Amino acid sequence: MAAPALEAIHLTKRFGDFVAVDDVSFEVREGEVFGLLGSNGAGKSTLIRLFCALLTPTSGTGRVLGIDVARDPEGVRRRIGYMTQRFSLYDELTVRQNLNFFAGVYGLRGKAKAERLDWAIRMADLGDKEDLVTRSLPGGWKQRLALACSLLHAPRLVFLDEPTGGVDPISRRRFWGLIDSMAAEGVTLIVTTHYLDEAERCDRIALLDQGRLVALGSVGELKEVFAGRAVLEVACPRFLEAQERLERQDWVHEVSLFGDRLHVVVDDPEEGRRRILALLEGEGNTPVTVERIVPSLEDVFIHSIEARGETAP
Amino acid sequence: MHELLAVIVKEFLQLRQDKKMIPAMIIGPLVQLLALGYAANLDVAHVPMVLVDQDRSPASRALVERFTGAGTFDLVGAEDGPDAVDPWLVEGRAQIALVIAPGYGEAVAAGRPPRVQVIADGTDANSSGLGLGYAAQILAGAGAEMAASRRVPGMALARTGRYELVPRVWYNPDLKSRWFYVPAVLAMVLMLVTMILPSMAVVREKEIGTLEQLSVTPLRSWQLILGKLTPFLVMGMLDMLLVTGLITGLFHVPLRGSLLLLAFLTFLFLLTTLGLGLLVSTLVRTQQQAMGLCIFVLMVPMIYLSGLIFPVENMPRGFQIASYAIPVRYYANVLRGIFLKGSGLDILWPEALALLGIGLTVLTLASLRFRKSLE
Amino acid sequence: MSPRKIWSVAWKELLQSARDPLSLGMLLGVPCMMLLLYGYAVNFDVRHVALAVEDNDKSAASRELVAAFVNSTYFDQVADLPAGADLRRLTERRQARAVLVIPEGAGRDLAAGRTVGLQLILDGVDSNTATTALGYASALIAAANGERLSEAGGKVQLTPIDFEPRVWYNPELKSTRFLVPGLIGFILMLTAVLSTAISVVREKERGTLEQLRVTSLKAGEMILGKTLPYLGISLLATVLILAAARFLFGIAVSGPYLHLFLATLVYLIGALGLGLLVSSIADTQAMAFQAGALVSMLPAIFLSGFIFPIRSMPRALQIITYAVPARYFNVVLRGVILKGAGLESYPRDMAFLVLYALAVLGLAYVRLARKEA
Repeated sequence: MAAPALEAIHLTKRFGDFVAVDDVSFEVREGEVFGLLGSNGAGKSTLIRLFCALLTPTSGTGRVLGIDVARDPEGVRRRIGYMTQRFSLYDELTVRQNLNFFAGVYGLRGKAKAERLDWAIRMADLGDKEDLVTRSLPGGWKQRLALACSLLHAPRLVFLDEPTGGVDPISRRRFWGLIDSMAAEGVTLIVTTHYLDEAERCDRIALLDQGRLVALGSVGELKEVFAGRAVLEVACPRFLEAQERLERQDWVHEVSLFGDRLHVVVDDPEEGRRRILALLEGEGNTPVTVERIVPSLEDVFIHSIEARGETAP
Repeated sequence: MHELLAVIVKEFLQLRQDKKMIPAMIIGPLVQLLALGYAANLDVAHVPMVLVDQDRSPASRALVERFTGAGTFDLVGAEDGPDAVDPWLVEGRAQIALVIAPGYGEAVAAGRPPRVQVIADGTDANSSGLGLGYAAQILAGAGAEMAASRRVPGMALARTGRYELVPRVWYNPDLKSRWFYVPAVLAMVLMLVTMILPSMAVVREKEIGTLEQLSVTPLRSWQLILGKLTPFLVMGMLDMLLVTGLITGLFHVPLRGSLLLLAFLTFLFLLTTLGLGLLVSTLVRTQQQAMGLCIFVLMVPMIYLSGLIFPVENMPRGFQIASYAIPVRYYANVLRGIFLKGSGLDILWPEALALLGIGLTVLTLASLRFRKSLE
Repeated sequence: MSPRKIWSVAWKELLQSARDPLSLGMLLGVPCMMLLLYGYAVNFDVRHVALAVEDNDKSAASRELVAAFVNSTYFDQVADLPAGADLRRLTERRQARAVLVIPEGAGRDLAAGRTVGLQLILDGVDSNTATTALGYASALIAAANGERLSEAGGKVQLTPIDFEPRVWYNPELKSTRFLVPGLIGFILMLTAVLSTAISVVREKERGTLEQLRVTSLKAGEMILGKTLPYLGISLLATVLILAAARFLFGIAVSGPYLHLFLATLVYLIGALGLGLLVSSIADTQAMAFQAGALVSMLPAIFLSGFIFPIRSMPRALQIITYAVPARYFNVVLRGVILKGAGLESYPRDMAFLVLYALAVLGLAYVRLARKEA
């Protein structure tokens, strides 16, 4: 079996007393689209910055394409691409000037450079925009230009840190099309995102909470935590009161709030439904609906974090 | 080499695109040059003088003419008694009062020493001091003429030997303060262009995140530093030529030494300013902080304590010693040495060594810090 | 106008500036630094001019003359040169600012009643120092001649005119007394303009200005609320500078304090108005900083008579200085602090200051209120 494209072995990063990444271990296979999920401050960006050798780990090891990041940061940087949600481009330069610059920075020249620039312009579909000043481009175009810039040196592994932040839905879908086609070419992609619908498009995902890895696997695998249980969606007038009441029942595993609805995890859907109706009707808080739903990644996410909270000291 | 070139080219493209950078590079120096060239002038001329002539004799009128004829003093009014002088000085309508007591003419005629009082407004210490000096010279001249015409006491003068002062002023024979201030503009302009602007340019890349983007590329930190600083070095050297042209062309300050030497020593000075700019960029997060730090923590103290405007010799001992650590001090010597004295490297080698030493130290420190700040 | 609303804006402003290291540094650090620089470090008081002596005579008379130079404390003897020393090299290296050359046989010639020519070579690069040193040297030589005459028993007055110089307000002619009052005008202008301009533009940048505009806050209330805290802070800074001037540099306010306060208030209102005007033009903090520094710092240093006398400037620049409020403030401040005068001595200068404040505030109000519509 081939060596993993990316490997974290007990990776830890502390900033003073604050533990940003706490003993994280996982592997990513070549050609995989790997999602990193977590709330703000969960440690996603720190983890990526550790792999890009922008930060040195406090302990543990990170390997990128078989190279130890701490030993040969230059070697790592030559082989990876990196793009953040800020689309770090030079706003006042034109599209072509930006591409030229990054090609130069990656040491491309002559025929190879011309070829890669052509490829990048085609890939990002910037054919007739080459001489426009970057500032004047809409968000989606800037995003694709930033991606093109970070792919000029044909990296085998690419980090995308919230690449679709602040971009309209159509551009987002188009961007994910690009990600899929890169993966088909064997490029490994590590993506962080807020959007759970995007996470569902990843081959595998890792959930981070307060620096710790709380869940890891494919979307299907993760959803199996609900095997033998059912998630019921409840809508009722005084939902906050209902949440409080339901949390106190021993036949209810979890209650979480989604907007003005509650997701209630029970063992048996039919019995659960009956009990909920009975409990709430008795209080004059009759539910409008109680329906079994397919658990979403968000349910998994909340479940994983709450499960960890229960086991933590 | 190729990577380095890419950074330099990009930096120049950015400079060309930046609508605010260009005015800062041209208008800033120009305003400073005009301000220092025309406004900064400690030469004393047209000192407003109020006259109290209580004698009103031909002799007293002759003395007044000596005062007003030289161009140093302008007669702005006359009063009857010394007491009336007060409001003139308080309100600043006059800076000096010439009081000729009654009996001046009589005393002159009789060969007795007449009394003349000069009252100066001391609030402007410098010009009043110089004004009093001129007044003393005028009175001494008048006195010498009187003595010569009287002849009687001249016997004694002839028998007793005396000193005669023969002053020779070198390098600036007309003692124009403009010649002192104008070359200083070059140092200020260079600090602006090669210290403040590059520090802001680096911090800007931090702000927009491109610095992080670059640090995940194989670009070495020395390539990045050299690439970012080279355009400013070039701009600084061009500014040197421009400002030197204006100094000599517009303000007629002579360039007596070699332009080539000036260019070489300017290059050594720029090592320091570029290094300081880079150092500042590693300490701050926003362009504004960079500008504030550069101006108020670096530029202002360096300008004041280097002798660029206020002579180091007049400072207390502690400040004089501290000034040895200020690179501008050496560059100020270089500027005045080359422009006014026509000095060569045989004279300026200690300055060259100091600039080189400080420059390399600062640049190395800044580069190390910059490298660390990337990680 | 609601005092309550003005106060809430003002209080927020105070809280913000207390948390912002940059504006705090500007409001407190810069005045302290300037005060130290001007109070202790920089001045035009020429003393201890480095003097090299080439004594080709080495007689009792020549030694006496050199001693007179050194004892005056105006000159420090830094070198005793042999005949034919390379004077150019010496002055080029700045080892000596002045060289006194005493010719061979000076003592003999003096005794024989002849006139001895003394060469004094001055490094004219720093013209101000050179002029002053030349004055000192002339006075020393005159005194030496006078002494020789009286020793010779002659009753002849060397200076046939009895010159009686009097210096009022600053008898020792110390430039610190001249610079520190001017410094107040400079510091107040700089901090008031920059802090107001930056604080308004910061709200523009963050969009909070728009937020405030959708509330019922009127333009006038906004302006007052934003400027009052800085007015307070600047007045406080004035008190601190005056205290420092009194206790560190021995410069006491000899005129009425109330007049000083009034003049400062009028000046500050003009300065804050200028800050508002800058903020109505600038869109970014960096721009506000640059524009603010340009319109406040440069004129306050170069065109106000703070350091360089206005009279020595070319005519065109002198005309421009009429539009610089610091020019009038410096006159009033020096008058009240050093001369013990009251404002009644400066009706013209005060009128200009009031006029300036009204004009600038009016312009700022018009610009800021128009944007509200």
